[in-house]
Amino acid sequence: MRIIAVTACPTGIAHTYMAAEQLEKTARQLGHQIKVETQGAMGIENELSVEDIRAAELAIFAADIAVQKRERFDNLKVIEVGVQEAIKNPAALFSRLAK
Amino acid sequence: MMEITFTFPLANGLHARPASLLQEVCQRFAAAIRFHNGRNRRRADARSVLELVASGTAAGDPCCLEISGPDEKAAGQALRAFLLRVLPHADDNLPPPVSASGQKVWLPPLFQNGAVRILPGRALAPGIGSARAVRLQKARILPRRFAAGKRDVKKELQLFREGCRELESDLRKKAASLQDPNAAGIMRAHLGIISDPGFRNRIIELIAKKQKPAGVAIGETVAHFARSLRRSQSVYLRERVDDLQDLATQLGEKLYGRSAARPWRPSSKSGVVMAAALTPSELLTLDRRRLRGLVLGGVGLTSHTAILARSFHIPAVSLPQQALEKIKSAEELIVDGQRGLVCVKPDPALKRYYRLEEMKLRLRSRQLARLKNEAARSADGRKLAIAANIGSTAELGPAWKNGAEGIGLFRSETLFLERATPPGEDEQFAVYSEAARSGKGRPVIIRTLDIGGDKRLPYLPLPQEENPFLGYRAVRFYAEQPELIKCQLRAILRAARHGSLKIMVPMVTVLEEVRLVRRLLDAAAAELRERKISHAERMEVGIMVETPAAAFFLDQLGREADFFSIGSNDLLQYFLAADRGNARLGDLYEPLHPAFLRLLFQVADQARKAKRWLGMCGEMAGDPAFLPLLLGLGLDELSMASGQIPGVKTRLRQLKSDECRQLLQRAMQCANSQEVSEMLRDFNNRFLDADVIAPELIRLDTPSRTPDEAIKELCDLLELGGRVEDAHALEEVVWRREQVYATDLGFGFAIPHGKAATVRASSIAFLRPRRPFQWLGKNMAPVRGVLLIAVPATAKGEEHLKLIARLSRRLMHEDFREALLSARDTDSVLTVLRQCLRGS
Repeated sequence: MRIIAVTACPTGIAHTYMAAEQLEKTARQLGHQIKVETQGAMGIENELSVEDIRAAELAIFAADIAVQKRERFDNLKVIEVGVQEAIKNPAALFSRLAK
Repeated sequence: MMEITFTFPLANGLHARPASLLQEVCQRFAAAIRFHNGRNRRRADARSVLELVASGTAAGDPCCLEISGPDEKAAGQALRAFLLRVLPHADDNLPPPVSASGQKVWLPPLFQNGAVRILPGRALAPGIGSARAVRLQKARILPRRFAAGKRDVKKELQLFREGCRELESDLRKKAASLQDPNAAGIMRAHLGIISDPGFRNRIIELIAKKQKPAGVAIGETVAHFARSLRRSQSVYLRERVDDLQDLATQLGEKLYGRSAARPWRPSSKSGVVMAAALTPSELLTLDRRRLRGLVLGGVGLTSHTAILARSFHIPAVSLPQQALEKIKSAEELIVDGQRGLVCVKPDPALKRYYRLEEMKLRLRSRQLARLKNEAARSADGRKLAIAANIGSTAELGPAWKNGAEGIGLFRSETLFLERATPPGEDEQFAVYSEAARSGKGRPVIIRTLDIGGDKRLPYLPLPQEENPFLGYRAVRFYAEQPELIKCQLRAILRAARHGSLKIMVPMVTVLEEVRLVRRLLDAAAAELRERKISHAERMEVGIMVETPAAAFFLDQLGREADFFSIGSNDLLQYFLAADRGNARLGDLYEPLHPAFLRLLFQVADQARKAKRWLGMCGEMAGDPAFLPLLLGLGLDELSMASGQIPGVKTRLRQLKSDECRQLLQRAMQCANSQEVSEMLRDFNNRFLDADVIAPELIRLDTPSRTPDEAIKELCDLLELGGRVEDAHALEEVVWRREQVYATDLGFGFAIPHGKAATVRASSIAFLRPRRPFQWLGKNMAPVRGVLLIAVPATAKGEEHLKLIARLSRRLMHEDFREALLSARDTDSVLTVLRQCLRGS
C-alpha cells in the first residue's frame, strides 16, 4: 500500500519524531510504502507534495494537536490517532488500515 | 541659612544605615541641620536617625537640608560631598533578597498527595533545613507592668541613663565581636537609635515633664516612632519597627532586670526555631550550631532579622500568623528557603526529594567557591579580569571573599570627606598600604582625589559654581593644590612597596593634566628620597576615561598614561548631556543607546592601537546582562561592587568572545536602545554551548525511585551544568507536559521534556535508576532509563533541535535503547549518545 502520514505533538520536540520513526519502521516491515511529514518545533519537515498525496491510497494523522494545511488531504481517506498510539502500538494501527 | 536640595537616591528609602551615616556627618558641626521631605512635607532633625527614618523618605523623593549656624558653610560642603559620594553607595553591599515575588509557587505532584502538610509562605533566607520544631519563648512587653503614677523624677532619669549606658556598651562589644559585616552593621544601627537625640529627648521629656516611669516613657516613645514608621510607604521602613521593639525590650531588661524571655539553648539536639516575631538581638542569642532553620511570622524580607539569617546561612521562611500557630512543638519540619514554604511531618518520599535539593545546593556552593579562585575567562578562554570597586578598607574583605582579582577603583576621596583638615601622609599611607598588603600581589588601583565644585571640603577653598559638574573639579584643581596632591602621591609611593598599587587620574580632558600628575609624582618621589624614606621607584599612572574629549583622544593621552579605565557613569552623563539624577529625563540616561556603544567601541579600538590596558569601573560593568557587549569590546578588566562579582564571573564562562563581538557590531547598528535591549535579551537567552550532552549530565545507578525524584535529579543536573537557570522552573514545565500524557514510552524508557525560558542551552540529561520503578502509567513496564530533554523557549529551527529529533527517532530502535541501558559507565553512555547525535 502507498501510505502518507503526518505526525504532530504539543511541544514538537520528541513525540513527533518518535511517531514518524515508528510509522516508517513498521510500514517497512509490513512491506508498505510510506512518507511521513513531521510538524514539530522546527516547522513542517519532509513536506508531502501534491504528487505524494495524489499517489497515496491512505493517510494517517498521528497527532495530538491540529494538523496544519489539512485541506491538502480533503479527497483522501484519513485515519486519525493520537501520537502515543503510533508509538506504542504501531502494529495494531496498521492492521486497522487493512480493513 | 543655607539649603541643599537633592533627590533621594536609594531604592530601600532612608533606612537606619544611610540615616546613621547622615547623622554622623551632621554631628561634626555645630550648625542646626533640618531635613525636609518635599513629597510628604515631613521634617526631621538630621542628627536624629529615628526622626530621619520616620520621615518615610522613599527613592526619588525631593529632599532638602536646611543648615544654619556659625559653621554652616563647612557643614554644607561636607554634606554636599556626602550626598554625592557616600549616600548613593550606602546600600551597595546589602545582601540581595531572595525571590520577593510572593507569587503562588508551583509544586511537584509529590507535594500534593495529601500525606504531608505544606504551609506556603515567603522565603527570607535560602537553603533547606530540617529538624524538630522548637517554639521560642517570647519576652513580655515590659512597660505594661508599670502603672503610671507619681514617681521620683530624678531616680527615674538616673535609671534610664544608666540603662542606656549599659546597653550602649553591650552593643558596642557585640558590634566589635561579630565577624560578619552585616551583623556588625546592624548592631551599629541599633547603637545609633539608642543614642539618637530624638529618641532620648522624647523619653527624658516624658519622665521629667509628665512624671512617667522610665519604662512607660520608653514604651510610649517606641510606640510614637513605630506609628510613623508603620505609616511609611516603604516596606523596608515599616520593618524597622522590629528594631525599635528589640531595643525597647533590651533597654527594659537593663532597667528592670531579666525579662521573661528564655533564649533557646538546646542541650544537644538541633532544631528549627519558630517565633511569631524574632528581633535581631534574639536571633543572635540562639545557638547557631544547632539552629537548622527559622520559621517566623510577619517578618519581612528586608528586616534585619532576615538579613542576619542570610548572612549566617540559616534557611528562613515567614508564614502567615494562623499557619504558624498550626505547627506544634517537636513536630518534624522541613524549612524550604528556596521555594518559601514549610513541610510539616514530611513522608519518606518528600525527605528523599529534599535530600536531592540539599545535595544540589551543596554542589552549587562548592562550584561558586571554586569559581572564586579561578581566573575569570570566557567559554573560549578569553581573559577578562573581574575586580571590585571600594571606598574604604572595610570593603577589602568582602571584595576578596567574592573572588575579586584586583581592586579596579579605590575611591580615595572618602578619606578626605567629612573632616576639618585633610588626612596626613602617614594616615593615608596606613590606608593605602593596608589595601596593598591585603591584595597579596593583586593590583589595587587608587584614584587620586576626585573632589570639587559639587563636593567641597572645608580645607579646600574652591569657588561656588553655577554648574559644578562642568566646573573646577578633580585633576583640574591639582595645579593650584600641589601640596595636597603631592602628600597623597607620597603616601601611595610609600605604600606601593607593600603590594601592587597603581594611580588613576580622574576627569582628564587634556594631555597637560597627565603630565602635571607625572611631574607631581616625580616631585613627591624626590621629596621622599630627600627624607630617605623608602618608596616604589616606578608607578603606573592611568587615567579615567570619563569625558567625551578623553574618549576621542586616547592615542595622544596614551603617550603619558600607562592604562585607561572607562568611568561609564560620568562618561554616559557627559556624552548624552543627561543628568542621571534628573527623573524628568526618564530613559534618556541609557547605557544601551547605540551611540554610546559606538563611543565605547571607539575607545576600545583606540586603546588597542595605543597598546594600552583598558578597564571599566562604572555601574555598567557590574550588570551580567550587559556582559556580552563588554566582552565584545575586548576590555581587559571590569570593576564592580563586590556582591556582583560571582554572577558576572559565572556568566562570563558561558560567553564566547567572537559571538559577542558580532553582537556588539549589530547592536551598534540599532536605531534605539529598545532594539539593543531586545537583541541583548535574545542573545542572553540563547544557547551558548556547543554540545547537547556532556558527562556531567549523566548519572547512573541513582537511588531515585519515583518520577518526582528522577525529574528533579535531571533538572538539577542541568542547573549544575549551567544549562538551566532555575531547575524548579524547568521541573514545572516538564511536569505540565507530563500531565498532558505521560512520556513513558512503554519500553522501560521515559523521556520527560520541556521547552522553557529558563533553559539557556538545548540539552539532554540521562539517568539510570539503581532499581527500575513505575512511571505514571499503571500497566506499564517499570522504567530503567530516563532521558530528559530541555529546549529554550525561543529555540526555532536551530541545529540542536535536529539533533534531538534524531535522538528521539533512534529511541524507537531496541538496539539503541539496549545500548543505553547496558552501557557500563558514564563514558560508554556518552559514546552511545554521541554516536547517535552524529548520525552514525
